Amino acid sequence: MPSKKRNAPKKTNRLTIAALLAVMVLAGAGGCSSVPATAKADPHSPPDLSWLETGEIYPGYEDDRRYIRRASETEATRDELEDELEDELEDELEDELEDEMAGETTIADPLEGFNRVMFQINDKLYTWIMRPLAKGYRAVLPEMVRRGVKNFFVNLTTPIRLVNCLLQGKAGAAEAEFARFLTNTTIGVLGFGNPAKDYPELNPPVEDTGQTLGRWGIGEGFYLVLPVLGPSTLRDTVGLLGDYCLNPLSYVTPSRDELALKGCRSLNRLSFHIGDYEALKEASLDPYLSMRNGYIQLRRSRIKK
Amino acid sequence: MSLERFDGMRNNPVSKWIKLIVLGAVIFWWTAAGLLAVETEADPMATIKKPIDKVIEILNDPRYKDPDKREIQRERLWETVRGLFDFNEISRRAVARHWKKFSPEEKKRFADVFADFLGNTYIDKIQSEYNNEQIVYVSQIARGNKALVKTKLLRGESLEIPIAYRMKKIDGKWKIYDILVENGVSLVKNYRIQFSEILKKHPPQYLIKRLETKLAEQKKKRAEKNK
Repeated sequence: MPSKKRNAPKKTNRLTIAALLAVMVLAGAGGCSSVPATAKADPHSPPDLSWLETGEIYPGYEDDRRYIRRASETEATRDELEDELEDELEDELEDELEDEMAGETTIADPLEGFNRVMFQINDKLYTWIMRPLAKGYRAVLPEMVRRGVKNFFVNLTTPIRLVNCLLQGKAGAAEAEFARFLTNTTIGVLGFGNPAKDYPELNPPVEDTGQTLGRWGIGEGFYLVLPVLGPSTLRDTVGLLGDYCLNPLSYVTPSRDELALKGCRSLNRLSFHIGDYEALKEASLDPYLSMRNGYIQLRRSRIKK
Repeated sequence: MSLERFDGMRNNPVSKWIKLIVLGAVIFWWTAAGLLAVETEADPMATIKKPIDKVIEILNDPRYKDPDKREIQRERLWETVRGLFDFNEISRRAVARHWKKFSPEEKKRFADVFADFLGNTYIDKIQSEYNNEQIVYVSQIARGNKALVKTKLLRGESLEIPIAYRMKKIDGKWKIYDILVENGVSLVKNYRIQFSEILKKHPPQYLIKRLETKLAEQKKKRAEKNK
């Protein structure tokens, strides 16, 4: 099976991988469930050869498979990677020529007064409510559980990304999203696990409706700080509506449950990012401008990809 | 081996050839080794990898676990990475079109205070929050005197933050002049907008003062924390 994977052409092998993984798990569930669990032994200890006699699957199989995959990946994707980097460097040099000594990454901000007030309100909301909550949450739940919850929600919100891949004509990425969904829903047990994580070809860049609108040539409009949700633009706010419609959680009834689930998702996500906002604040002379610029840079670079 | 025999060998034409070959091999070896050394030295990824590995080593060093030793640890961290950056270039780019308003002396003062400010902010962060993060060196590409080195910061198993370094070769050495987070958020550009807003209304002196004040605040905070 590993050699098959190595030789498979890059573009078409996402579904293959998902299928192979699914087959492996089914096979595992069917007959080979008694594989000795010694695979992750100390690499310096003498190799355990007992599997030879018992006729079991070689216990280091999983690790080797991963290793072989990594190695072949490096080889197969090197050219691609180099091309990509070339392009990127090209883009960068161009960018630089453009803004070397001149411009700033700017965005119209006609509502700056309102936005700054909203920024302050969100700042307090974060510092006084969200952060203590997230800290408590992080203290109570081990990382493994939080990771599972995160994976679950990421998997569940596949439609947002998948549909937006399609709307942008990114067939390969859409296929990858779908393959990851299949993989993580089956092998990952309803998405709590993320076995697709180790396969870069199953993890395309994250898409959303705001990016789709941008790709379609719709301008950002102007900068907007939303209550609770934070930095956005006029276009991305419309995008959020699209995301809302594509989010399966939005169809949970009663709406109290929907809110609870979405709250849980946000809190869980925040528990991985405690300190990031504080760092931004600490590192800037004007946190509002720093946040605005960071958001705009991030969105523009994502739309380019 | 007797001396006689040795003498005999010296006059032997075959031994001459052997000597020549050995000499050739040695010269070849040295040249190759020299070239290789230059090669690795000039490699942008290797240039950042060494100090970053050192940083992780210092962060993991149990000798600095004691709160009293934190200042020493941060000094060592700063020493380790400072040479990696070209703070003149970073300052010039961050101030951008307002740079020509700065007198040579102001340029120098600004570069120094901005360097300290960046160092403080980010060293504080990694020092207080380091939690066995791993760095993966993804790829590098160099063209002419510019290079882009891509890395990933792995926080536990759940978070991956792409961090790329823009580098420039200055006097034969690769130096960082910008950091890109999340595949496209430039640190220099982020400061550029902030500085620009200030410099639109105020002279360079004012900006330098602001940074110095911020630096002093950080220092005070740190002193309280370490107490």
